[in-house]
Amino acid sequence: MVLAVEAENLKIGYEDEEVVWAVKGVSFKVMVGEIFCLVGESGCGKSTTGNAIVGILPPYSVTDGVLRILGKTVIEGNKRDYTGVRGRIVSYVPQNPGSSLNPYLTVEEQFHYVMNSVYEWGRKKVVEEATRYLRMVELDPDKVMDYYPHELSGGMQQRTAIALALSTGAKIIVADEPTSALDAHLRLGLIRLLTRLRDTVNLTLIFITHDLLSAGKICDKIAIMYSGRILELGPSGKILTEPLHPYTEMLVDSVPILGIMKPLKTYGGEPLTPGVEVKGCLFLDRCPKKFDKCAENHPAPKEVHERIVECWRYV
Amino acid sequence: MRLADLIIVKLENITLGYYTTPRGWRSLFKVKQPVVFNVNLNVVDGEKVVIIGESGSGKTTLLKTILGILPPFEGRVYVLGKSIYDLPAKERRKITRQIGYVPQDPYKSLNPRVKIETVMKEPLEKSNLTDREIKERINEALRLVQLHEKILDYYPMQLSGGMMQRVLIARAIVHEPEILALDEPTSALDVSIQAQVINLLNQIRRKLELAMLTVTHDLAVAQYLGDRVVIIHKGRIVEEGETAIVLSQPSHEYTRLLISSYRASI
Repeated sequence: MVLAVEAENLKIGYEDEEVVWAVKGVSFKVMVGEIFCLVGESGCGKSTTGNAIVGILPPYSVTDGVLRILGKTVIEGNKRDYTGVRGRIVSYVPQNPGSSLNPYLTVEEQFHYVMNSVYEWGRKKVVEEATRYLRMVELDPDKVMDYYPHELSGGMQQRTAIALALSTGAKIIVADEPTSALDAHLRLGLIRLLTRLRDTVNLTLIFITHDLLSAGKICDKIAIMYSGRILELGPSGKILTEPLHPYTEMLVDSVPILGIMKPLKTYGGEPLTPGVEVKGCLFLDRCPKKFDKCAENHPAPKEVHERIVECWRYV
Repeated sequence: MRLADLIIVKLENITLGYYTTPRGWRSLFKVKQPVVFNVNLNVVDGEKVVIIGESGSGKTTLLKTILGILPPFEGRVYVLGKSIYDLPAKERRKITRQIGYVPQDPYKSLNPRVKIETVMKEPLEKSNLTDREIKERINEALRLVQLHEKILDYYPMQLSGGMMQRVLIARAIVHEPEILALDEPTSALDVSIQAQVINLLNQIRRKLELAMLTVTHDLAVAQYLGDRVVIIHKGRIVEEGETAIVLSQPSHEYTRLLISSYRASI
């Protein structure tokens, strides 16, 4: 198996008066053809990690550690070099397709804009390629090509955004909450489409979501993030059925499931605000299973039962 | 006591929607664009009702007419036994004040320049309470939603999403309403905070003995917030009944579709 994305102790921060670390050292490996999921609540750094993989970090961000994409080192220390990677190998499906497509351009012009900026192709070649990619996402090219974004429905907009992301020949796609703006049946269609693309074009998908259940449905591997660190990482089936970390346990228990009337368990409290220095484990305030050692410092990652967990109970 | 006295919200053959302006010279005449057609609905005192629908089905529009801010094209809306749109505006407001309303997006519904204290005082402005009584009321409401008193001095942007949603719930119950109307109370929140808010709403309802009317698109959340569900599709009620029964043995085609696609996507 070939490594698609590899992060080693990756840290990302934003420069304010002093540096606020949004991602505080994460390590993970994604194989080619795998669906990898970053799950977490808002403010945990999952979108920042995604942005680092795509190469759209803002200029005032600070990085540390190593990030490799298909063998090429893109982040090393505070140096970032995405030449030949951004767009051509990695591309991005944004959260809200309605506001990410240019309202002044028809779908054909959007494709022209993207492909021309990457490969400098002419109109004829662009139309040819765009037809192929629109077919791939189950849209009718003859109709859709001349439409403006507002003439498409929400699901069609999202498919167009995926076709646009694929159109540069990208091997890795980072999708930032692609399903959160859609209704249940559209969500189902999109999930099926993405898994089928993985099987047919051997696409690597990095899926960013806050919905643990839909992550479990489609992903091979799940990483649970909490205030800038990956607390638990492992195969999706295992994480959902037998969570090891108390935070994962809480997430699994607090999701309402249709047809099962269980009491919703939560530990109270809210995620840490970014920029606050904490001594001890990051989950200390909300953890019901804490003991003396937890207050000292944050545990190092440890491999237990095919998973990597950061919790003092397993060290 | 008769059953009719217990019904606190009653919709009778409601058709409602918005006015649109066509292009050209026809723009002189506004055109009615109905969104909800022929809806009948009763809410009994102390009951939990959930309206389920997808985006664009007219569920929020339906809630607006109960709140007294959108007159229907046809039909009557009874709140606490009075047909509210037949009353003058002042009288209508007196009745609709008995509904506590929690809007959809906490981030967008609090004025960033106004302190939480002012926000909480607003529903009590027209009451004859003294300052001290107002303060007591506010503190009690905050205690119910498990918030500390010190947040009264904060501005909305200093709070997290879950806290803002709690402030909005506290504000909705501070004037002791008879009905609590919630528009997608958890859709903007994270899962662990969502569970906290659901548990909190059920606690409050039990304590204050309110009727609760919730609008949502999330079937799993509906299980917790409703004894009775109303499924609405393209402006028409397609199915209605006890939550457990409707969600486990749906009789309408659309409900079945909704449930199967929900099951498959999670």
